[in-house]
Amino acid sequence: MKYAFFPGCVLHAAAKEACVSTLAVAKHLGLELVEIPGWSCCGASHVQDVDPEAALLANARNLALAEKMGLPVLTACSTCALMLRQSRARLLDGAMDAANERLAEIGLRFQGTSEVTHLLWVLADTADAWASRVVRPLEHLRVAPFYGCHTVRPPEIMNYESHLNPQSLERIVRACGAEPVAIPERLRCCGFHAVFPAEQTAMRMTAAAVVSAAKAGAHCLLTPCPLCHMQLDMYQPDALSPACGDRPVPVLHLAQLVGEALGLDKRDMALSRHIVDARPVLKAATSGCGLS
Amino acid sequence: MDTLTFLIDRYDGVNSWRQRYEFPYRPGMTVLASLIHIKERIDPTLNFTASCRSAICGACAVRVNGNALLACDTMVDDLLTVWGEGALVVSPLGNAKVVSDLVVEWSEKIERLRLARPGLHAKPEFSAEKGCRQSPKDMQAVARQWDCILCGSCASECNKLTDSEKDFLEPFVFTHAARYAGDSRSADPLRHVEGMLENGLWKCVHCMECVSKCPKHIRPGEDIAAMRHMAVEAGHTEGPGPRHAEAFRTDLEKTGRLNEVKLVPRTEGMFSAATKRLPFTMRMFAKGKLGVLEAARLFVADNAPVENIDGLRKVIAPERKES
Repeated sequence: MKYAFFPGCVLHAAAKEACVSTLAVAKHLGLELVEIPGWSCCGASHVQDVDPEAALLANARNLALAEKMGLPVLTACSTCALMLRQSRARLLDGAMDAANERLAEIGLRFQGTSEVTHLLWVLADTADAWASRVVRPLEHLRVAPFYGCHTVRPPEIMNYESHLNPQSLERIVRACGAEPVAIPERLRCCGFHAVFPAEQTAMRMTAAAVVSAAKAGAHCLLTPCPLCHMQLDMYQPDALSPACGDRPVPVLHLAQLVGEALGLDKRDMALSRHIVDARPVLKAATSGCGLS
Repeated sequence: MDTLTFLIDRYDGVNSWRQRYEFPYRPGMTVLASLIHIKERIDPTLNFTASCRSAICGACAVRVNGNALLACDTMVDDLLTVWGEGALVVSPLGNAKVVSDLVVEWSEKIERLRLARPGLHAKPEFSAEKGCRQSPKDMQAVARQWDCILCGSCASECNKLTDSEKDFLEPFVFTHAARYAGDSRSADPLRHVEGMLENGLWKCVHCMECVSKCPKHIRPGEDIAAMRHMAVEAGHTEGPGPRHAEAFRTDLEKTGRLNEVKLVPRTEGMFSAATKRLPFTMRMFAKGKLGVLEAARLFVADNAPVENIDGLRKVIAPERKES
């Protein structure tokens, strides 16, 4: 299967490890990802606050570029997925003609022919198939799934599965041979989108997820959203209170967990780029040694 | 399946407990029909509120398995499809003070609703004699917001409100402000926005719970975004919220991609970037999240513009001035 790949800004910057691991997993599973030439920022759930028209039109252009390739869009970022899918729904619901007038000036046209999917959904749909290719089952690893708000909400846009009780991440964790551990925060917010205007709130949200995962005996958190990863990993030292007994928990990108289980090259997982080192728990996961 | 099991969170003003109720399953029952069955046939002490049974009065909102819904408008069968055939946990709405069992306190929330300054102050051209008409298109712009039935579902799982209600409001309050601020007949739309600005308009965490839980398909999150835009257009551009959003907009037009290195100085200013955020930055350097040279390049210069940046600029309206 071939996709027009929309990496989003963060996969080209702070979450490069999510980009290389996504590309490696895709290649291994025969998913051809062709980066959309000239794609732009999706608006990141912020641009609409100052210029809603620009947010819609930038995504009309992104989608038109993908349609020109004749391919469905795949992204590995939940906020990008939401912004693209929301824009697509609005364009199809009446905003298309006005957007196309603007796009015509640069020789593009949005027609609604390219659907937008998430790496999570493709991996969950194909889990039965690739599970047989797992060469390094992570059978001692207890993984706390953390979906990220924009992976499942709002359901009228992100309608792959029930937003109340999604199971795609758990299915993937099991396919990797690992054990999913439910935490109360699994569908809650990491705080990322308000880390500046509501910093204390964001930090408490981050701490709650990490502390819960530790308390539940999870060895790591797993998220399909690189923005959640940034918040839960990069801000984790700021969010935790070691003096109160909080202990760090590593956070894995979805593609890293799958790539590890598939036995892909460690360099393609780029695990050295994490603030909270995930390598010790992954190393121990295949042997069972050193995991509490 | 012959038997339904509800585990209901009870509260008598002093003690809290979870009580188990088992009763015969019948296809096509609503949650409210189940609660009425329990009260009439099993336990008359169970308290809950309900009235219209038609999803219009908003009185019967409760939580099932931690998620708000209108009891009268939710089929038990649909819940069993989502959650499987185990017991369903029924609780009072979240982010609300519990009075008794499933009954929550509303008077404080209604007081907070006053911050939206609800009520239309019509433009001077309107009068009792001439009326206060608007076009169907203008009416449609706020029709969705007028569907609010004040059930409280949008507030129940609001992640920001759960963290603190001291610097934020129930999502329905924002929706009520937006329905006056966005009304074409309003003489002073900003009078409704200003109270929101002072009470957390920029602190929404974008968790989308309000949008997902509203039984009337209202989108408080979008109302918040619309009022942020109105505020910015009116010159309320200071503070980390507007500055952060504007940084994304600036980069979108300038290169098409976000410049992460400039994001903090643009949002919080150079002083904060060089002091408060220094440990964070050093951590990024130490773990290779960000290369020192790459950071220097991005700070001094910028990302390379995306292919056909002129086309992108033309499409997103370059004539706009930075707010």
